[in-house]
Amino acid sequence: MSALGAKPAAAGDIDPISSVIGIVLAVVFVAIVAVLAPVALMPLLGIILGGVLIGFGVHFVPVGGAPAAMGQAPGIATGVAMLAAGAGLAGLFGGAWAAELGVVVATVTGAVGGGLLMAITCMMVNIIYVFGMGIPSASGKVAKDPITGDTQPEFKSQGTEGHGLPFISFVGGVVGGLFGGAGGTLIYLMLLEVYEHYLPGIFDATAAQIMPVAVSLAGIFAIGMFLVNAVLAAYNITGTIEGPHDPKFKRFPRAIIASLVASALCGLVAIMIVVVNLNI
Amino acid sequence: MVENIVLGIGITALAGALAAVAGAAEDTESDIGSQGDPNSQVQLAPQMGFIHRIFNKAVSGEPPAYGLWCALGAGIAWVFLIKDVNPVLALILGATIATFVQGVYATSGYLGRTASLAKFGQPVYIDILKSMLSVTMAHAFVAVFTTITICYLMNAVLGHPFPLPLLGIVWGIALGAAGSATGNPFYGKERQYQNQQFGAGVPISASGNIVRYAEAGQRNSLDNGWFSSKLGGPASGICFGLIVFLELWRTVLFEHIAAGWGAIIVGFAIILVFVVIDRWIETYARKTYGPYAAPEEANL
Amino acid sequence: MTAQITVTEGGLPHNTLMIYGLVGSLVLVYLTYLNTVTGTQLFSFFGGLGAIAALIWGSDTIKRLCSYGIGTGVPSAGLLAFGSGVIAMLLATRFGIASPIVALVLGFVIGAILGYIANNILAMKIPVMIQSIAELGAVGAMVMIGFSAMATGSFTFDALSAVPVTVLGATVNSFESSLIGGSLLAAIFMLGGIALQHGFNACLGPSEQQDRTLMLTAEVGFLSMIMVAIFSYVYLDLFAVLVSIVVSVIGWYYTYDQYIALSKRDAAAWLDSKPIVEPEGH
Repeated sequence: MSALGAKPAAAGDIDPISSVIGIVLAVVFVAIVAVLAPVALMPLLGIILGGVLIGFGVHFVPVGGAPAAMGQAPGIATGVAMLAAGAGLAGLFGGAWAAELGVVVATVTGAVGGGLLMAITCMMVNIIYVFGMGIPSASGKVAKDPITGDTQPEFKSQGTEGHGLPFISFVGGVVGGLFGGAGGTLIYLMLLEVYEHYLPGIFDATAAQIMPVAVSLAGIFAIGMFLVNAVLAAYNITGTIEGPHDPKFKRFPRAIIASLVASALCGLVAIMIVVVNLNI
Repeated sequence: MVENIVLGIGITALAGALAAVAGAAEDTESDIGSQGDPNSQVQLAPQMGFIHRIFNKAVSGEPPAYGLWCALGAGIAWVFLIKDVNPVLALILGATIATFVQGVYATSGYLGRTASLAKFGQPVYIDILKSMLSVTMAHAFVAVFTTITICYLMNAVLGHPFPLPLLGIVWGIALGAAGSATGNPFYGKERQYQNQQFGAGVPISASGNIVRYAEAGQRNSLDNGWFSSKLGGPASGICFGLIVFLELWRTVLFEHIAAGWGAIIVGFAIILVFVVIDRWIETYARKTYGPYAAPEEANL
Repeated sequence: MTAQITVTEGGLPHNTLMIYGLVGSLVLVYLTYLNTVTGTQLFSFFGGLGAIAALIWGSDTIKRLCSYGIGTGVPSAGLLAFGSGVIAMLLATRFGIASPIVALVLGFVIGAILGYIANNILAMKIPVMIQSIAELGAVGAMVMIGFSAMATGSFTFDALSAVPVTVLGATVNSFESSLIGGSLLAAIFMLGGIALQHGFNACLGPSEQQDRTLMLTAEVGFLSMIMVAIFSYVYLDLFAVLVSIVVSVIGWYYTYDQYIALSKRDAAAWLDSKPIVEPEGH
């Protein structure tokens, strides 16, 4: 993730024409599923919700990219899409394990898994900054931490934009992990439901026999769709963000539209795999 | 039932311990290879006129790279397991072959990035390649072997529904995320910029001026691995170890309480504990170290 | 402050490379169909060669896209490509003999929509964005189908998700040892995703040369092919596996050797155990 090309921050305005086109596309995708496979309609809506949760959650994760590794900017020193993927996939791991306990329990379990990873990771980041490098946390974007009210500018060392994870960034990281874990798990559970319904007919086998294929397909798609949504959200914030207090956070509405359209598209294709039957 | 839980706890503890080793090895490996975000400075230095002898191993960020090594190691182990090879041997073969791939990627990354810096006069130091490569590969082997062993334990003993390669991708990316988040600042700021003031971030104007000379002679990446294995590596190990241990622990012990809500409540409680610890660390630093400048001067 | 991504001019034009990659990957993946025609498994390795053709094309696309500065690392583009590619490829496998063509088209369509989302809805305003993401989606789908065909000898959904095994004289389908059922596809996903971005990511810099970058992509492609040949040990007979391994090892050795020679050609100096050479004026 080195040698990043910097791009001037664009305004967070929503482009109305393309957004409407996108939403129309999403509605068309949903309609196709509603006509061809009514059973899969609710799962598709679940997939879209999962994708939106991921796209929204990425905006909370405080990621500083390369400058954070030198204590030049606040945040976690790695790529935003990949950190979100780490949290979301750890959540997916927990959620998939709890799949038989029902959608609500499994999704919340997945959320906690993602939040737990982020909580531990963010705490260790601060431990390294404070006890390893003697640097207190300071935000570069706000004068006061919106949660604790701590003043920030005087704790910013000279020539930097801040460093470490102020409390608001820490909370943002945990919230982002919760959203990411829930979203990834939701996509997985919904796809699993669809595949468990259709695959036995395709292979003329029992539900227990096709379980490995259903689990793997749903798992691979959940990872693939997670990456698509996370990368799109990372593009939206041009790679770095401090957390929910960062001005870039206000760009999230267009990321939600983007995730909505992208998830509807990917969900449609993923569902079509078991619905089309051409027998060629 | 009781035996199952006792076995589960034992596996949880073992997985946590293996994860701690994996995290420590992962971070040390990436620091010796100068992988991930701190690599931007190794890349930038020649442009600023600072020719160096640091290993510049550009293989994407750590999370996707470890996603590959672990998915590949797990995939190959899975192939041998299907062919009825002994699990221990299968895991070792998987990790060995994945490490070979890591080594090839590392050499091509160094040669590629360095050759593309020809304009700034950065030469290819072929001895760097020879002496660093075996060390990063050794660390990568430890990281990959322990991680895919954790995955095998989760799948075969704890009964997670995901097949081995899928677990490899999940925990590989998580390992890279934990290791790079925790270890990168320590290598990137504290070691690369040892010439800058302690207790402060690196001023943006100092970018590229990385330390190139050692106590005696010229610094190479083995010196960096030596340094970051004292704090950055173990801290990454604790980070990944805690993640794996607590995730398994809360599931194995509390999943059957209140139809799954037990594990959720315990998970939230653990998160709250970490929130409190983090807040304590933050206020400790503010009180103990104090501000860099008086509040009214800071806005100048 | 970080180094900027710079892209050097020269070499083959992108569109020429795209045509080569597109046609080459399609033809090579179809050559695995010789397995069915001749009733053997010897031609599986063509799938891997097809994947390499697609990787080389995709590597050049990534270079073109990343020269605009997409705001986050080069690897993200590779993962976006494979995230959309795997979805396109799996749907395509339901189309039997038409699978590779459908994978290509579907990859383009999904990629184009994702590119539209990124470029217009997220307002990235990069001129080549839609085309590049569309190409990357197609590349992702072709690499996945090529490597899958190499591992199993076939590119249809049935063959990828069920392996016929003989138990007590009767043939039954084994799902948990199949490419999809065992999630070996996940390993192929990462192999392709990293190989796609590695060429440009590893060679970026002011003295980047197209032939060296593409040679590196071919090298990691052959390296991935060796791994897929090991995967195919589950599905193919030993002789076919050996053919695959021999082809990929020879290809890997040749490209790696060439890559080192090209690095030597482009490097400022090639030194062994020499001290830091301080530039003039320091």
